[in-house]
Amino acid sequence: MNTGILNTDLIELICILVFFLGFYGLIATTNVIKSIVFLWVMEMAVIMFFLSIGYNIGIVAPIGTDLVPGQVADPLPQALMITTIVIGLAVTAVNITMLITLVRKHKSANWDILRKKSSES
Amino acid sequence: MIYAILVLWIFLAAIIIPERRGIRIIIYFAIFSLVTALSFFLLGSPDVAMAEAAISTFSTIFFVICFEKHFRLKADGEGDPEKKEVSKAAAAKKYVLPLLLIVPLFALFIFFRPGPEVSTYLKDLYITRFAQDVGGVNAVTSIYLAYRVYDTLFEALVLVIAIVAVSHMSAFKEMTVPDGEHSDIERDGLAVFTIRIIAPILLLFGVYLVMNGHISPGGGFQGGVAVAAFFICRYMIYNIYDMPVKKIIRLEEVLFMTAVAIAVFGVFLGAGTFVPLEYLRLYQESYLILMNILIGLKVACACIVLFYRFVAIERR
Repeated sequence: MNTGILNTDLIELICILVFFLGFYGLIATTNVIKSIVFLWVMEMAVIMFFLSIGYNIGIVAPIGTDLVPGQVADPLPQALMITTIVIGLAVTAVNITMLITLVRKHKSANWDILRKKSSES
Repeated sequence: MIYAILVLWIFLAAIIIPERRGIRIIIYFAIFSLVTALSFFLLGSPDVAMAEAAISTFSTIFFVICFEKHFRLKADGEGDPEKKEVSKAAAAKKYVLPLLLIVPLFALFIFFRPGPEVSTYLKDLYITRFAQDVGGVNAVTSIYLAYRVYDTLFEALVLVIAIVAVSHMSAFKEMTVPDGEHSDIERDGLAVFTIRIIAPILLLFGVYLVMNGHISPGGGFQGGVAVAAFFICRYMIYNIYDMPVKKIIRLEEVLFMTAVAIAVFGVFLGAGTFVPLEYLRLYQESYLILMNILIGLKVACACIVLFYRFVAIERR
């Protein structure tokens, strides 16, 4: 187990930072649209984390006939992350539909007001 | 290079947090997605970059449609409560308390992350063997259509479920928009002229991405979204709601079941494993092209249905 900051890979550190920026934005904001945007931000950070596994300077895409395993990016996370991005579209679409339904019912897109109105009714 | 782009990436994620104007949030979101796609490309994964660029465009369209509602509410005087004066104690409670949760979690993740040594067994296996096992030149397409085809199919199932959820939650009494009805959105003549020129090229590009998914970056998902973008352009040009949405949903289900049938068929040929490699060796690239076309059409149908449902919501 690696327990030092200096040994960590810089890209993975950046991904964790952006993930928690997105998490902070998700729970500290009162705007529902912003919450949905930050859900997307968190997802992008996770995808970047997976894609940066095994990254070196001068790495190439895994496309071609005579590939040398040491010099190409890992194709397995890429294949899984394509499907994750499409699932992100599904999540965003369902979220926005729920938001539009809420806005129609309660005439507001603010977490505080929505919480108050839904507890009253 | 990648580090400069990543610094911009952090900046764009951070700048959305204090932003209060809705349209700026959406613009920052679009720029953030674009920078993300660029970094994916620099990390050596053009397939994922293409998918991200195509799909974030779709998400931006949904956000714009949703923002239209939100903006009208503010214009009606229903007020944006974020602009209201709040006391300092309340603001501190709202913005500082989450930090008390976030910072320890962040520290935990940094100090106890797994080491940098990652096993490369599967990577080496896939890269050295995909050309004989599956065929094609693009290793990513070979993995998601052959070695991991069931992952891809379940992901497609998630998209079907999303369409069911969107259709269910947007079903109100006054839901139905009559076929052939024109919308009352004002259109810019120059924009329509530009879209008229771009749209056929977009359709050609989408078909190219689907057909060449096994030898170049691209594939069913990316090409399918590009084909769906052509139908959005068609809506923008003619401004008419005449898409048979229910028939497209049926078509999508049929395409999905066909893809599942083709993937499962190999199991019954006595291939011995769940991944029908023996069966794949017989057909090689024709299997990849067929599956890419099926998945591309399925994703295109799904995106068309989602877009037209959102247009119907927006016009109520």
